[in-house]
Amino acid sequence: MSVGSLATKDNRPDRRRPHAPKRGVPSRARFVLRRIRKDPASIPIFLALLVASGVMLYPFGFMLLNSLRSQSQYLSGSGFSTASWSALFSYLPVGRELLNSALVCAASIAIILAVSSSAGFAFAKLSFRGQGALFVTVIGCMMVPLQSIIIPEYVNFAHVHLINTYLGAILVYAGLGTPFATFLMMTFYRGLPEELVEAAVCDGLGYESTFWRVALPLAKPALATVAVLQFIQIWDDLLVGLLFLQEPTNRTITVGLGVLSSGRVVAIPELMAGSLISALPAVIVYLVFQRYLVAGLTLGVNR
Amino acid sequence: MATVTLEKVSKVYPNGFEAVKELDLDVSEGELMVLVGPSGSGKTTALRMVAGLEEISSGTLLMGGKVVNDLAPKDRNVAMVFQSYALYPHMTVAENIGFSLKLRKVPKDEIKRKVKDAAQLLGLGDYLDRKPAQLSGGQRQRVAMGRAIVREPSVFLMDEPLSNLDAKMRVQMRSEISRIQRRVGVATFYVTHDQVEAMTMGDRVAVLHLGELQQVGTPQDLYERPDNLFVAAFIGSPAMNLFEAMISPTGDEVKIGAQTLGLPDTLRQARPALAGYRDRKVVVGIRPESLIDAALGAAPPPGATLLADVELVEALGNELQVHFLIEASAVHSKATEAATGAEELGGVPVLQMGGNKTEGVARISPRSLLKAGDRAVFQVELDRLHFFDPDTGLAIWN
Repeated sequence: MSVGSLATKDNRPDRRRPHAPKRGVPSRARFVLRRIRKDPASIPIFLALLVASGVMLYPFGFMLLNSLRSQSQYLSGSGFSTASWSALFSYLPVGRELLNSALVCAASIAIILAVSSSAGFAFAKLSFRGQGALFVTVIGCMMVPLQSIIIPEYVNFAHVHLINTYLGAILVYAGLGTPFATFLMMTFYRGLPEELVEAAVCDGLGYESTFWRVALPLAKPALATVAVLQFIQIWDDLLVGLLFLQEPTNRTITVGLGVLSSGRVVAIPELMAGSLISALPAVIVYLVFQRYLVAGLTLGVNR
Repeated sequence: MATVTLEKVSKVYPNGFEAVKELDLDVSEGELMVLVGPSGSGKTTALRMVAGLEEISSGTLLMGGKVVNDLAPKDRNVAMVFQSYALYPHMTVAENIGFSLKLRKVPKDEIKRKVKDAAQLLGLGDYLDRKPAQLSGGQRQRVAMGRAIVREPSVFLMDEPLSNLDAKMRVQMRSEISRIQRRVGVATFYVTHDQVEAMTMGDRVAVLHLGELQQVGTPQDLYERPDNLFVAAFIGSPAMNLFEAMISPTGDEVKIGAQTLGLPDTLRQARPALAGYRDRKVVVGIRPESLIDAALGAAPPPGATLLADVELVEALGNELQVHFLIEASAVHSKATEAATGAEELGGVPVLQMGGNKTEGVARISPRSLLKAGDRAVFQVELDRLHFFDPDTGLAIWN
């Protein structure tokens, strides 16, 4: 590559976010300092945010610190060891449970994405008989608390022998996640200009192929938002897993940890090590995809 | 390529609103037909019905002699250029232009060749690998044109394609679109609310108002022989001056306020129907360029001048636009107010005359010394006066 082309690329403004601050802690600290200097009244806001961050981060610090202690070290409050990690791996099939969690998450999210992306497009861009009633039903489903339907759901699934199967848990998670995901996708598609769909129709596409070839490729950011939100929710869930995946071989990591803490004597350091393993994937996914999350959650706000 | 014929085509929405009323139009091969009118005139709805994006409520749409009312858009072989260009953001310029060919399973080599040809025609050769977000407004507009012409459609449809561009780019693209349209020689519908665009681009212009066709003809026809007050007020910039007037009992003079203009024999012969308006009120229309500063030439003949108070002089370099007040009653009608963009439409009767002083505009030579506050003497080109019936708003001709 020539020097000239390199220079051009480097000098090119970031078209997606022209006013985005430079990444990294120093630039953020500079931003805060500049803001405080410009507007001293913002000091209480930053202090409050600092306290809130402390409250949020404290459990992580607690988990990390105490997972590196044995039970006696934990009780005495001094010393470090990896005993609790060794014990955790000997009590629990951690690898297997992580794999189960990943499997259930992936399959549920796949179903949610397939249904919500197409249903959202239909609600946003097509008009069909019963559209209003169907939409109200979907929105209504978002408002039903999980706890109120979990028992009937359990009974029904027991009738069709879906308890203690991956499929049972996957269907429950997919059913719970789809209404909100559909709503989110619909909000995204509504933002796509009507003329784009009409241009595709004039070019020779039907509505179905317009969905596949035009709308869906453009929906990648919204799909990422749905996937991340659902991943965090499903990965961290305990209740559904506890009821629908009771066999030791198909437990998810959260159910495994639940079992660990249900004994007569609870070993806090081992529990903290397990919690850390369980929380880590969700935290990583959040940190990597937080841009999509913010974009997705503010969909439709600037319109 | 094909001719397009609309026979009494109407669009009625489920709520009963009639957006287009019995539209009759005939566009021949290679002709550029401009649909022009203010907001809500039904021009875009008419275009969308031709495209197949809007169902036709009644009437017949023919393309190449075949009825296409119930054909899907893709089966009509029409190419549409949208106001927002509607480029696919996830595709490159080349992919955007070649997309419709890809859907028709045209061999890849041929697609490549056609895309290259179109890009060359539009000056997009260097941008084929860019995404729409990396292009300027004018370049996006060209891509939209490229996408339309590469398909070799039977009919081109353009929905205000220049309205998102700045003034300079609009003038440039106006001539480019005309050039390309002539080169591909396809029947074209061009929708705009800008009458300058309509006049400069159209082989013929169809003026619509409230869903009804007011007049269709060449730009010069519309300008020189407007059929009614709406067309008279809409076509031309600045707009035609319209004053309440009275034809004398002898029919050889017209009185505007306290001033009198003679009506030459040539004018009366060209408008025989004017004889029926003796001793009756009419609306007189004077184009701004039909008023000449009398101080610049020889003394005008009697009965050919109007006195007016100059309020403002705008120097445009090649001409002066003189805004004046004249003692005459102004003409207000729903049609003229819609045509000139006056906002208050509700409650205005079909035609209302009144007021002692009326504003007017004259386009005169830059050699004129007129300035604000002067009492101007304008010589009127009497043969180019327009007359309208105050009750029906129709032009008085034969």
